[in-house]
Amino acid sequence: MADRQLHAVRGDLEQVFRRHYPAVVAVAARVLGGRAEAEDVAQEVFLSFGRSTVPAGEAGGWLSVAAAHTALNHLRSGRRRSDREVAVVSGEPTTVPDVVDDVLAREAHGQVRAALAALPRTQAVALVLRHSGLSYADVATALDLSPGSVGTTLRRAEAALRKELHQ
Amino acid sequence: MNRHPNPGVLRRLVDEPAGVTDADRAHVAGCADCLTGLADATADATAAGAALRTRADDVDVPAAWDRLSAALPAAASPARTARRRGRAPRAAGVRRPLAAAVAFAAVLSVAGVAAANDWLPVFRTEQVAPVAFDSADLVALPDLSAYGTVEVTGDGDLHTVADPAAAAAETALDVPEVAELPGGVVGDPSVQVGGQASAVFTFSDDLAAQAGGQAPPAGLDGSQVRLVAGPGVAQIWSSASGVPALVVATAVAPSADSSGVPFQTLRDYLLSLPGLPDDLAAQLRTFTADGSTLPLPVPADLVDSSSADVDGVTATVLESRDRSMAAVVWVEDGVVTAVAGSLGADEVLEVARGLR
Repeated sequence: MADRQLHAVRGDLEQVFRRHYPAVVAVAARVLGGRAEAEDVAQEVFLSFGRSTVPAGEAGGWLSVAAAHTALNHLRSGRRRSDREVAVVSGEPTTVPDVVDDVLAREAHGQVRAALAALPRTQAVALVLRHSGLSYADVATALDLSPGSVGTTLRRAEAALRKELHQ
Repeated sequence: MNRHPNPGVLRRLVDEPAGVTDADRAHVAGCADCLTGLADATADATAAGAALRTRADDVDVPAAWDRLSAALPAAASPARTARRRGRAPRAAGVRRPLAAAVAFAAVLSVAGVAAANDWLPVFRTEQVAPVAFDSADLVALPDLSAYGTVEVTGDGDLHTVADPAAAAAETALDVPEVAELPGGVVGDPSVQVGGQASAVFTFSDDLAAQAGGQAPPAGLDGSQVRLVAGPGVAQIWSSASGVPALVVATAVAPSADSSGVPFQTLRDYLLSLPGLPDDLAAQLRTFTADGSTLPLPVPADLVDSSSADVDGVTATVLESRDRSMAAVVWVEDGVVTAVAGSLGADEVLEVARGLR
């Protein structure tokens, strides 16, 4: 059985991947600031999804939440990978402007990362998902909150974020 | 006066006002404390949006799929991976489609414009001009359904056709041809056609009295304003992921006529309705003085507007503050044309000036 589980990759993975990959990268990038690191997170998320039995109709919400959590986990554990390593794995030639841009963006995003890492997890995830374009209803479903409390959670997160960034 | 809505409701008013009850909206519009709370929520939300902005907008999906395939167990069909490798060019990617979608909706669906703004101007469009408003003003705009009845008499019937020639045959419009696509936009467009859309608004003294607003001028009760727009054609270039990268839309510009009520009477009454912020009313009064300028509502806190020349016609250029989206809109001979996309202002202007 263990062997069977190892190879059980769901059949709709490629279809779901092509449809949702950019959105998943975007969610992770809001947390992490840089695209290369966000793409690492997206790979992790889709590997997990490939082994899951999440219904295809719920894939979008599941992937967004997973991307937010995984990216926040990266923040807290301080894991990093170099852009060069990613470029080699993905078969893309490394271009200097990409690397420079990513480094600059990460510098600018440092304060935001710290502020996000300091927020309670539910607030941080709600904040990232709403600013990634999920509706209040989608965020509520994803976090198992009532739609009414999404606004409250978001309000608290944004007030805290702003305070943190202005200190 | 009902009780104050909680801070979560104020937050939702900032970016999903349709999810807030009419009672709460009405309360907020008339409550100084809540308006202050709303302004705070808007400021915090805007700051958070800016802090969380990303540039992860040009991911290479085929390359990323190859990478994932390599990491998957052997059972995950390597043949499929090989077949797809390198197929799609590294295209524009998923640059944000919102501007394109908004411009598209605004040009093709006049019913949507009226509903979005709760506003029915009476005019014949000869030009467009941006009307700046703060996002928070949205809660305060008068809801016209409280002052009369709206009947949509033609919904435009939006549908896809085979190509620009078919769209031209169906609408009798000159469908513009893009001379040169901007970098990153590739392929043939999907072509959508909307027929004529129209709506009739009938003023009602009774409804106005119930709404507690200023009594309409004598003789307005039962009079009608008919709003007509379209037909229109939109050409939409999608990026690899299927979202619009560029939209070129053209439509017969909106016009309106009333059942015998002078334009100025209607304008002054509409501008007097409670809830309309004074500065917005003043802008609208200026812009609609001659009944020929279509006000384009622009959230001044998110979008910059300017004007530019497109082949001798003055056009309005809108660009999001984060420079991720831009649109240019102009009117010529009763036809409104918009070029929008997840592009820079210079890129949409270049497309606009190159239309044939």
